[in-house]
Amino acid sequence: MDFWVHVLNMILLLSILGMSLNLLLGYSGLVSMAHAAFFGVGAYAAALSARHLGLPFPLTLVVAVALTTVLAGLVTLPALRVRGEYLILLTLAFQMVLYELMLAWVDLTAGRTGISGIPRPRLFGRALVTPLEFLPLIALCALGAFAIAWRIGESPFGRVLKAMRDDERATLAIGKSVLRGKVLVFCLSGGLVGVAAALFAHYQAFINPFSFTLDRSIFLVALVVLGGTANLAGTLVGALLFVGLPEVLRFLQARPEIVDAVRDLVFGVLLMLFMRFRPEGLLPERAGLGIVGRAAAPAPGPARATDWLSLSRSALGGAELPLRAEGLEKHFGGIKAADGLGLTLPRGKVTALVGPNGAGKTTVFNLLTGLLPPDSGMVALHGRDVTRLAPWRRVRSGLARTFQDVRLFERMTVLDNVLAAVPDQPGEHLGPLFLAPWRVAAAERRNREKALGYLAFVGLAHRANEVAASLAFGEQKLVALARLVATEADVLLLDEPAAGVDAQWVQRILELIRRLAAAGKTVCLVEHNLEVVTAVADRAYFMDAGRIIAEGRPEELMADPRLGEIYFGKARR
Amino acid sequence: MSWGLIFATTKIFHFSHALTLTLAVYAAVLAAGPWGIGLPAGFALAAGAGCLVGLATELAVYRPLRRVHASQLNIFLASLGLLIAGQSAVLIAFGPQARALEGFPMTGIALGPVAFTTIEALWVVASWLLIGLLMAWLWRTRHGRAIRAVASNPELAQCLGVDRERVFLLVFAVGSALAGVGGALLALRDTASPTMGVPPVLAAFIAVFLGGIGSIPGAALGGVVLGLAENMGGLVLPGYWQGVIAFVVLFVVLVVRPSGILGARGR
Repeated sequence: MDFWVHVLNMILLLSILGMSLNLLLGYSGLVSMAHAAFFGVGAYAAALSARHLGLPFPLTLVVAVALTTVLAGLVTLPALRVRGEYLILLTLAFQMVLYELMLAWVDLTAGRTGISGIPRPRLFGRALVTPLEFLPLIALCALGAFAIAWRIGESPFGRVLKAMRDDERATLAIGKSVLRGKVLVFCLSGGLVGVAAALFAHYQAFINPFSFTLDRSIFLVALVVLGGTANLAGTLVGALLFVGLPEVLRFLQARPEIVDAVRDLVFGVLLMLFMRFRPEGLLPERAGLGIVGRAAAPAPGPARATDWLSLSRSALGGAELPLRAEGLEKHFGGIKAADGLGLTLPRGKVTALVGPNGAGKTTVFNLLTGLLPPDSGMVALHGRDVTRLAPWRRVRSGLARTFQDVRLFERMTVLDNVLAAVPDQPGEHLGPLFLAPWRVAAAERRNREKALGYLAFVGLAHRANEVAASLAFGEQKLVALARLVATEADVLLLDEPAAGVDAQWVQRILELIRRLAAAGKTVCLVEHNLEVVTAVADRAYFMDAGRIIAEGRPEELMADPRLGEIYFGKARR
Repeated sequence: MSWGLIFATTKIFHFSHALTLTLAVYAAVLAAGPWGIGLPAGFALAAGAGCLVGLATELAVYRPLRRVHASQLNIFLASLGLLIAGQSAVLIAFGPQARALEGFPMTGIALGPVAFTTIEALWVVASWLLIGLLMAWLWRTRHGRAIRAVASNPELAQCLGVDRERVFLLVFAVGSALAGVGGALLALRDTASPTMGVPPVLAAFIAVFLGGIGSIPGAALGGVVLGLAENMGGLVLPGYWQGVIAFVVLFVVLVVRPSGILGARGR
């Protein structure tokens, strides 16, 4: 009996770790190969603070959580490199350093010998000794961890994490800080590890470094992936399999020394097969928040949809020239992509940037939105200098863009794509998320209605619950437009909004752009198709070799033989 | 450098390179021990076995994954899966105990104040020889040029008629054979065990990132820097801190100069 309760306890502890890792791996697309080491640090923190400082149980847990939170936060220090192979390597380095320290720092950790005699926690006046006595405590903590992880993952904050996972640049472009997301999710994940670690130390009453090896980290990754990324129930299944499999083997009287090896073999093979045939894991991620999925999409009338358009970050009635850039310079090696470039965008008008390939049009967008820092020059938004402002902050102050290659959050639903872009969501902050859930719920209802309004504006409200990647390219461009409007920015930069789209969609997109301008937005677009430019633009800048060489109405520019020569090349005519 | 070659060319974070190394070393151990065909044949067998394991990994695991457009993360996870499955298979087949690679005469050599063993002398000679050969092959031959082309711009190389899949195979064959020989060299002193492949491959990860991703000479330089840092640090700090130094150096480089020592600046 005790034995099976012990197995259950281990499954619960492991699933806390798994959920913590799933927040990173599944929801945020960030790998951690150091979870076993974080687990170890937390366990040592709890053990040592109990042994040497005589702290009672709940306090040792606090110590462990504090330490693992800070430690996991440290991983995000080389901020820009916290992704892909750099992150694998970085966390591997953490794993190895911490493990070596546990072995080598004998004065503190007693090295290989480990620490024994960790006091049993006392709750309600009695010590918890047997697995059965521990079970309620561990189960309660696991439940708490599950609730926290679920609350984080399936919230507006979780939506930002998923957006970050699917496309970091696009996340910046909807005005959300990627760095903040990463730091927070690492700290939270670390904190959850601390909970499991303190429980583990007190439960085993003995720890040594060999529970915290790289292998453990690898298996933790494996069980999360097999169970299902971004699905917490999947992690529970993964933990069950991982602890359960050897017990079943033992039950079948396999030779004891090969039981663990067989389990490892099975897990390794499963991991390979799953990556090939079912990369989403046993229990796949549900696209979209549960609540949204159930909401039947009520299509708001087009009149209401237009109301939302007037929503704006900066009070309308400000400057007539919301965006002004002066003397922008950008060099790539010897090439001048922007050479003393200046432009202004008037409110309520559509301005086009035209010019031959390589004239630097997209570079201008990158400079204006801050994705590229200019060598010199300045960008003013509503009369305020934003040249040094981070890209996502510029979006918050009212300057947003779309991408030539669309960049939707592919694994999220259409609705979530748009919803993620709505600014100032209380659910993106941990305080309201846990302390004022009613405010979060109310805001979420309001924002969902808004997002549906934007989707109705582009005519895609009926596809709100579909996964973004399943849409046709033209539809994806429309969703991107809805997402852009959802940022509530009033200066909108469109990078080739009609390129690569069937003719039937082009008309629709042009009509929408006109309506945006009519609603008082400041629109600027880069476009190769001159018909599109003449059809929609009120004025145009003609660019060549990083400079603006002409300005005027599109028809005037096109009638200028000198510009025609630059655009089409001399050979023509 | 063998891992760096594979990573730079294929962009696969090939963790199970550690398994390739382990399996190759076991082949050498069997050859030099029970089969009694001698150590030189053992080294040849290690190269051959490494080569085969590498090719099999590429063909059976990575290529099908690329065909279904698996993300880099998923390919890495599959590589992890292969590593743990392979390690435990070795464990089940050969048992957890370490096995010595026998047959090399180990004696101490003293040159003035410097003392080292014949094995260490062999390491120095063999590794520089292999590095020299690899560099010459990469820079002087048609195959080498194709590899460098794919490493620097796979799409363009493909447009120019370089078959990416074949280059990948070639890289896996050569890189894995090198890993086999390197592993056998290591095993001369440190014995063979199911998990022996992981530490040297971790060191390789670090060396490659220190030197700068994509720069093959950088990987060699990174290795040198890493070795120096570890041993210089060992003079000042107690011996058991040596393992930590490498990772601290890595962390500092990633924070301060993320593109690595020889890596390209900017994007």
